[in-house]
Amino acid sequence: MRTIFWYSLGRMRSQILGWGLCLGLLGGYLVSFYDTLVQQEAQLLEMVKAYPPEVMAFFGDMNKLFTPGGYLNTEFFSYMPIVLGIYAVLAGSGLLASDEENGTLDLLLAHPVSRAEIYFGRLGAFLVALVGIHALAWLGFWLFVPGTTMDIMPGELALPFLSLLAEMILFGALALLFSMLLPSRSMAAMVSGLLLVTSYFISSLAKIDENLRQVAKVSPLNYYQGGEALEGMKWSWFLGLLVVALGFVLLAWQFFERRDIRVVGEGSFRLPIFSRKKGYSHAGTRD
Amino acid sequence: MDQIAILAQGLKKSYGRVQALRGVNLEVQKGEIFGFLGPNGAGKTTTIRCMLDQIRPNGGVLRVLGLDPQAEPVAVRRRVGYLPGELHIDGNFTVEGALRFFNFLRQGKADWHFIRQLAERIDLDLKTPVKNLSKGNKQKIGVILALMHRPELLLLDEPTFGLDPLIQQEVHKMILEARAAGATVFLSSHILSEVESTTDRVGIIRRGVVVEVAKTSTLVNRSLRRVKIRFRQAVDASSLLALPGVALLSKGDGTSLSLQVEGEMDALIKALAAYPVVDFETERPSLEEVFLTYYQRDMDGGEA
Repeated sequence: MRTIFWYSLGRMRSQILGWGLCLGLLGGYLVSFYDTLVQQEAQLLEMVKAYPPEVMAFFGDMNKLFTPGGYLNTEFFSYMPIVLGIYAVLAGSGLLASDEENGTLDLLLAHPVSRAEIYFGRLGAFLVALVGIHALAWLGFWLFVPGTTMDIMPGELALPFLSLLAEMILFGALALLFSMLLPSRSMAAMVSGLLLVTSYFISSLAKIDENLRQVAKVSPLNYYQGGEALEGMKWSWFLGLLVVALGFVLLAWQFFERRDIRVVGEGSFRLPIFSRKKGYSHAGTRD
Repeated sequence: MDQIAILAQGLKKSYGRVQALRGVNLEVQKGEIFGFLGPNGAGKTTTIRCMLDQIRPNGGVLRVLGLDPQAEPVAVRRRVGYLPGELHIDGNFTVEGALRFFNFLRQGKADWHFIRQLAERIDLDLKTPVKNLSKGNKQKIGVILALMHRPELLLLDEPTFGLDPLIQQEVHKMILEARAAGATVFLSSHILSEVESTTDRVGIIRRGVVVEVAKTSTLVNRSLRRVKIRFRQAVDASSLLALPGVALLSKGDGTSLSLQVEGEMDALIKALAAYPVVDFETERPSLEEVFLTYYQRDMDGGEA
């Protein structure tokens, strides 16, 4: 499993550096503007009041915009589930399905390595990649905090990142599960991405629409705290998200253990709605 | 059972409504080179992939080196070398990097001196990035991956696909050397000359069923031959054409004949003793012709 893990992590190093450094730089840029924003609190409050509540629902509580937690939430953490979610969904759906579709999994599974070793080796690398991206982003923020009036300890600053990390693990695991259930990696990414965006809208709009609050309870992003975690982390939400993610991971593993590995150029089954013929059909075997 | 490298009994595999294997029965003896022939879509690759537990059969019995691939896939793969028909390797590796990675998966069992020897014989530069390699050169990596740990069983799916003729010959030599060292070789191919020159026995698969297993030489000898005869003067060949298994292909001016003979030549040769024969030429069919004849017969409605 170690060989698979290190090989997979090696393949992800550019993703870790690319995403982590970009988010870290963005964080540093945003943190350095905090004091300027606080100095213009009165004018900005007037402007914010003019915004419709539907818009404000997506950016958190504007009354807290001038606290470190509120500022970071509005400027960064409020939309980060969508931005980083794109990575989580693409990486999760491609964790095994990409190699299956390009034919490299076929050769790997001709060697003395079990499916469980491949699965958990890849999954481990994905989790380390997610932690690495979050850690680099956190570092970017933290390096600029001492130059501002933000009174945040490094451990406190890590809390919203932990909340974000739990969401990304969950959506990555969901995409992985879909990649084991749906005919192609692209379809798995599309469905997971759709659920991510839906969850984002439902959770955000539930803040201003009471009718959506019941539905929002099953929306993963309802349990995302973002910058609000600076004022107190709800660990039950954090752990709850990880438990659900673990459920997805275990289910996906079982499906991977049972599935027929496709060879390149070979389709899986087709969904009936996309198939001209009725029922499932195999897109063709090489032989 | 100890002498059987591969045993399949009623092996079935379907993908939805498509039945890829409809009850494959097969027995490959240890130490032999077994050719697995069939047209595209017959079930060759599916059978091999079941042996490696890459896909799961829906029914039947399958044993590889005495092991059930579904129950002990890692143990099977440890003892097997596999070359897929179309090799796909992460393009970010160099050739050496790819070989080292897969050797790691085999707990470093392969001997690097042997790997370098193999690479040299098939003219493969170990320092080249995989992404810069042609299809044929990628296939060479597959050849080394299959052979480098000196496996007990080689599963070769179209092993010379994309290789130039000289390298094909070298690969054939490597296969024969592996057998000489005690390995069993299961070779799937539709390049019949390759099967004919390397295999001891041949199995023919058609639409997911093995329809024939025979010694390669038997299969070739059993089939039709073309015979061209030249006579000193024009003759009446009606007595020749009356022989069982003999059919007229073409007739010249009476001094030459072209016949098709099915089965043994004995009766024809004895009958020709009464004729003023100047020249007698037989053309042995290639396995390809045998194969086509076989399928033609099958398509015409006869059960092979």
